[in-house]
Amino acid sequence: MRLLVVEDNEQLAGLLTKALQTAGYEIDVLSNLEEASTVLRTTFYAALILDLGLPDGDGLALLREIRHRNDPIPVLVLTARGGLHDRVHGLRSGADDYLVKPFALEELVARLEAQLRRPGHLLGSSLRIANLEFDTRNRQASIDDQPQVLSARETAVLELLMRSKGRVVSKKQVEDHIFGHSGEVASNAIEVYIHRLRKQLSERGAKVQVHTIRGVGYLIAEEK
Amino acid sequence: MIRFKSIISRIVILHVVAVLITSIFMSLALSWLLNYATNNIHNKAMQEQAVSVGQHLSAKPDGSLDLNLPQDLLGLYSQAYGRYSYAVIDDRGRVLFSSLRDHAALFPADARSGDIEFLQQRRGDATVSGASIRKTVGNKTVWIQTGEDLANRDVLIDDIVADFYRNVGWITLPILLVLLIADIAIFRRALRPLRQASEIASHIGPTRTDLRLPTEEIPREVRPLVSAVNQALDRLEEGFRIQRDFTADAAHELRTPLSILRTRLDILEDEKVGEALRRDVEGMAHVISQLLDIAELDAFVVGALEKADLRSVTAEVAAFVAPLALAQGKDVALLGATEPVWVKSNPEMLSRAIRNLAENAINHTAPGTTVEFVVEENGTVSVLDHGPGVAEDERKLIFQRFWRRDRSKPGSTGLGLSIVQRIAELHSATITVENRRPAGARFSLKFVPLSP
Repeated sequence: MRLLVVEDNEQLAGLLTKALQTAGYEIDVLSNLEEASTVLRTTFYAALILDLGLPDGDGLALLREIRHRNDPIPVLVLTARGGLHDRVHGLRSGADDYLVKPFALEELVARLEAQLRRPGHLLGSSLRIANLEFDTRNRQASIDDQPQVLSARETAVLELLMRSKGRVVSKKQVEDHIFGHSGEVASNAIEVYIHRLRKQLSERGAKVQVHTIRGVGYLIAEEK
Repeated sequence: MIRFKSIISRIVILHVVAVLITSIFMSLALSWLLNYATNNIHNKAMQEQAVSVGQHLSAKPDGSLDLNLPQDLLGLYSQAYGRYSYAVIDDRGRVLFSSLRDHAALFPADARSGDIEFLQQRRGDATVSGASIRKTVGNKTVWIQTGEDLANRDVLIDDIVADFYRNVGWITLPILLVLLIADIAIFRRALRPLRQASEIASHIGPTRTDLRLPTEEIPREVRPLVSAVNQALDRLEEGFRIQRDFTADAAHELRTPLSILRTRLDILEDEKVGEALRRDVEGMAHVISQLLDIAELDAFVVGALEKADLRSVTAEVAAFVAPLALAQGKDVALLGATEPVWVKSNPEMLSRAIRNLAENAINHTAPGTTVEFVVEENGTVSVLDHGPGVAEDERKLIFQRFWRRDRSKPGSTGLGLSIVQRIAELHSATITVENRRPAGARFSLKFVPLSP
């Protein structure tokens, strides 16, 4: 899978290339907006990693240009500006996600994969926490490499939690994911599914824990 | 020398002086006018008297003249009365008739005198003023002189002037008073826009550089000053803008090398060393980002119409910090309001304030305990921990930049709470710190609530 990295700092570009190649991607690096704009018109990339501060202008200009011609390429913005205006501005200009420098490579790869795994995107692989694995292609959960049979709704909740690994999923998100945006949902329905899933996972020996963050949502993490 | 600092005292003093000068000038003008008017009347009366005396002159058959005054005129010129007098003189200067005791002329005879002359002559200690007319009676030309002792008239004028001050002059005092009141009223009106401008100016500071003084209502005389102040503010704002740009540039320059360092560590073979160094880099990145937060806050302005849902922002922060808390064996919970609570705030700044409180609470709360976020409908968000609490004498200190209770303790920059306080200031929000029983601290931020 080929990615384009637009970053003017040679050292950082080199390091990113090396790391992303290790993660299994093919990488092209460009250091200015003009070249990037030309190349993006003619070459297909699975995703774009875009630095905002470039020698010939603001990366956001390229982002707007890409979105203007309805190119759906996932864009991950890297920014040295942590300023709030910049952040809001970046996402409004059509970035799918952003990372403020300095970032952890692991985080970059995780965010990238999250983008690539979105519906319509290319990457379909398995998600793993401790001995629990979830294959997003056939929506199959396995514990210690043993496929597990879960109900459709338990599977849906587990998939959402696994995809959001390391982040809290709000109750509303779970609701929308399971029941869609319409329809009445009993107030304790989500708690019931979470409870069942938790029970299933612990009975089958998964070394993970589904945390309830009261008033906020749910989070799956490795058991301590 | 007494200096009058306020414009109104200067105007008042000028007006007092002006009224005094006017009073003096008025009395002088009045005396002059009275003198002028009475002189005219006097001259006219003298002329008429002379004409009247002349009518009673007749030529005798021998050519000499005879004066036959009726009783009322004789009474007027009687010596006892002494005020009016007459004399008739012929062309050789001889006195033909005179009401004076010494049978003298009133004024020196002068053959060149015309038909009518107005003359004045000192006689003893009195001044006689009067008229002299030429008349031909029979074949003789005579001059008839009439006069009046002026002493009587001057006394009268003096009386009138004195009476004027007694009866009319007092009016200058109320006029002066009305002037003073008018001065004050005009001044208050004229200065009102200036007071309003001062009120606006008192809000201008590093965090509010967008304000300008209104010039429409300002009196034209002070408008150049106000315009100049506004121009100075434009230049200051430009200066602040440059500083903000510098902040953004500095962020870039600091964060990119740190990013390279971090990436190098992430691909380091030696996991053990890498892990320790990564923590160092994270600490450094944390300090840099807090310093930049502070720099940004120093130049930040909360928009007049900005609002945020305190509940959803708090929920986002709780979700953001939950994994960090769980990693340390601690928990977080969101309690309180279930509906949106709108407050006057910039959402990102609100989020930063709550996040700093949250990080502070998670750092201090005991393992196995829960950090609670409580949102109230009145615009208050509280963060409660189960840590050691804050001693009474430290409650002010904790908000100072770089203050730390234990400087040897890693992971704290001493900047977090100063950021919270700055954000509270920017939003006119209040911070309160309380200790909980049996242990723990409660930090509350009360924002200005907006009706939905």
